[in-house]
Amino acid sequence: MKILLIEDDREAASYLVQALDEAGHVTHHSADGETGYAMASGMDYDVLIVDRMLPRRDGLSIIESLRAEGDKTPVLILSALGEVDDRVTGLRAGGDDYLVKPYAFTELLARIEVLARRSSPAEAATSYAVGGLTLDRLSRKVERDGETILLQPREFRLLEYLMKNAGKVVTRTMLLENVWDYHFDPQTNVIDVHMSRLRSKIDKGHATPLLHTVRGAGYMIRE
Amino acid sequence: MARFAQVWRTSTVRLTATFIAIFVLFAILLMGFIGWQSSVQIQRQQADDIDREVALFQRIEANQGIRAMAFALDRLSRQPGPGIYYLSDASGQYLLGNMNNVPPEVLINPGVYSFSYHQPDPLSGDGPPAPPGAPQRGGVAVVRSVELPNGMRLVVGRDVVERRGYSAIILQSFLVGVVGIILFSIVAGGVTARRVLRRIDTIRATSTKIMSGNLSERVPVTRRNDEFDGLATNLNAMLDRIEQLLQGMKEVTDNVAHDLKTPLTRLRNQAEAALREGTSEETRERALETVIAESDRLIHTFNALLMIARAEAGTPSGALSDIDVGPVVADVAELYGPVAEDAHIVLVTDIDEGVRLRANRELIGQALANLLENAVKYARPEDGTAGQIVVSLKARDGRALIAVADNGSGIAAADRQRVLERFVRLEKSRSEPGSGLGLSLVNAVARLHGGTFRLEDNTPGVRAVMDLPLP
Repeated sequence: MKILLIEDDREAASYLVQALDEAGHVTHHSADGETGYAMASGMDYDVLIVDRMLPRRDGLSIIESLRAEGDKTPVLILSALGEVDDRVTGLRAGGDDYLVKPYAFTELLARIEVLARRSSPAEAATSYAVGGLTLDRLSRKVERDGETILLQPREFRLLEYLMKNAGKVVTRTMLLENVWDYHFDPQTNVIDVHMSRLRSKIDKGHATPLLHTVRGAGYMIRE
Repeated sequence: MARFAQVWRTSTVRLTATFIAIFVLFAILLMGFIGWQSSVQIQRQQADDIDREVALFQRIEANQGIRAMAFALDRLSRQPGPGIYYLSDASGQYLLGNMNNVPPEVLINPGVYSFSYHQPDPLSGDGPPAPPGAPQRGGVAVVRSVELPNGMRLVVGRDVVERRGYSAIILQSFLVGVVGIILFSIVAGGVTARRVLRRIDTIRATSTKIMSGNLSERVPVTRRNDEFDGLATNLNAMLDRIEQLLQGMKEVTDNVAHDLKTPLTRLRNQAEAALREGTSEETRERALETVIAESDRLIHTFNALLMIARAEAGTPSGALSDIDVGPVVADVAELYGPVAEDAHIVLVTDIDEGVRLRANRELIGQALANLLENAVKYARPEDGTAGQIVVSLKARDGRALIAVADNGSGIAAADRQRVLERFVRLEKSRSEPGSGLGLSLVNAVARLHGGTFRLEDNTPGVRAVMDLPLP
C-alpha cells in the first residue's frame, strides 16, 4: 500500500514510516502542510495520514482542497484534539477516520488498512462469506456450513463489521465506534466479553476457528 | 498639576464639569430671556407714558389754551429726569423744550421716532440752540411728535439711557447669579465627584491587593445599599467563585502531580529494568508490555482529566443537540450486559420512552458507562445473594432522572460527596483498577447539562442519579 504521511513531528514521523515499512507499506513523508498538499495532489496514494496542526497549512484545509478537487483518497486524521466537536469538524472537512494522539501503532495500522479497502468497490456487497461462514445482509441470516446461527441484533452488527473487514485486524475501539457508535474508551473488557459470546456462537463445535484474537491489537475474522 | 490632570481624567469629574457647563448655559439663556422681556416691558411702559403725556398736553391745549400748555411743558422740561419735551412753530422753529436738534422729518411727519439728541443745560434756561461751549447732555431718545390744531409741533419723549440703567441692573444681577451658580456647581460637583471617586478608589485598592496575590481580600460593602454596594456584592461573589475555582485547580494540580507521577515513576522503572544488562529476552518483553499498559493507563487518566476540565468549563459550542436519551441508556446498558452477566449480576433496565433532552450523546454515554463500570465492580451484596443492577430513565416534574442502582455494600453517607472529587478513591476500592476520576466525570457531565449528580442510599447499595432538566 502506498501511504503519504503529513506530520511535522519528525521523530514521530520517522517512527511511523519505519513501522509502516515493516508492515509492508511504502510511505512518503512531508513535514509541512504546503509540501504535503503538493505531494497529495501530485501523486496517487492509497491512504493519506494527515496531522491536524501543521506548519504553513493546516491539515483540515489540505483535506478540504483535495475533496474540492474530487480527490477521494481515504484520509485518516491524526490529532491531539480529541473532543467530540473536533472529531465532527475533522470528519466534516472530508476525513474518513479520526485518531486521537497518543495512539497505539496497531490501532493506526488497523485503521488505515480498513480505510484503504473502503475505496475498493467491495463496500456494496449484500453478503459476506469467510470459510464456511456466510452472512446475508438483506435477510439478516447467518450460517456456518449450512447450519443457521441465531444472533442478537448487536452480535449481527459485530459480525457484519468483522466480515466486511475479513482478513484485517479490527481493534476494540474500532468495534465500539462502528458497532455502538461511541468514541470513549471503556476501561473494562466490555468488547472482549461481547466477542467471546460471538465466538462461542460461530466457532463452537467447529474444528477450525474463524474468529481470531490478535494479541495486543484486536480481532480478525479469516479462514 | 499632575494631580489635577489625573483628577480631570476621571469620568466623574468630567461628567460634573459637563453638567456645570450645561447648567451655566441654561442660566445665561434664562437670564437673557428675562432681561429681554423686561426691556420690552420697559419700552412699552415708556411708550405708554409718552402717549399719556401727549394726550395730557393736548387736553390742556384744548381746555385752557396754548399758553397753559406751553407753561406746563416748560415746567416739565426743566425738571431733571428722562423726560424730553420740544415745542416748535409750524415751520419747525424751536419755541420751548429741553432739546435743541430735533431732526426735521420728526416735525414734518407726526409719529414715533428714535434718534440721538443733544440737550441744552436745563439750568441755563431757555433759548434756542445752546450757546457754544455750554455743557451738553445727550443720548438716544424715543419720541412721539404730534401736530397741534394751531400748526405747532409738539414732541414728547424719553431718554433711553434711563432704560439702559435697568438693563445694567439686570446684567449685574445676572452676573452675580451666574457666578453664584458656577461656584455652587463646582463645590457640589467636587463633593459628589470626591465621594464617587473615594468609593471607586476602595474598589481599585482591593483589586490591586488581589492582583498582588492576596485572593482572600474583599471589597468593603457599606450599609447604604446603593449601586456601589450592589457592585461590591457582585464583585465579592465573583471573587468567591474565582477563589473556589482556584482552590479546586490547586487541588487538582496537587492530585495530578501525585496521581500522574506515581505511574510515571513505575513506567520509568520498568523501562530501566528492560535496559538493565543481563536481562533475559523474556523479562525484557514483559517489562516493555508493562510499559505500554502503564502508558495506556496514563493516557486514559489524562483523557479523563481533560474531558472533566472541558465539561466543567461549560458548554462547548454545538456539543449539545436534541436527542432521545432512551436509546442511549439502552445501548450502554446493553454494552455492559454481558460483563454483568459474567460477574453473575442481573442487569435490568427500566426506561421511559420518548424522553428528549438537549444533550451530548457521547458524554451521556461515557457518564453512564462510568456508572455501570462502578456498579459491575461493586454490586456484590455482602450477604452473598445475587448482585443486581437497575438502569433506569424516568421523566418526572420537568426532570429526566438517569439512574444506576446496585445492591452492593454502598457508600457511607459521609463519603458520598467526597467521592465526586477528582482522584478520590475510597479504601475498599483501592484494590480495584481505576483512576478515581469516573464519578468526577459523571458529575461534570451532569453539570454541563445544567443538572446535578448525586449518590443516594439504595438500601442496600447505592443509587447514582443524574438529575437533568428537561427542555
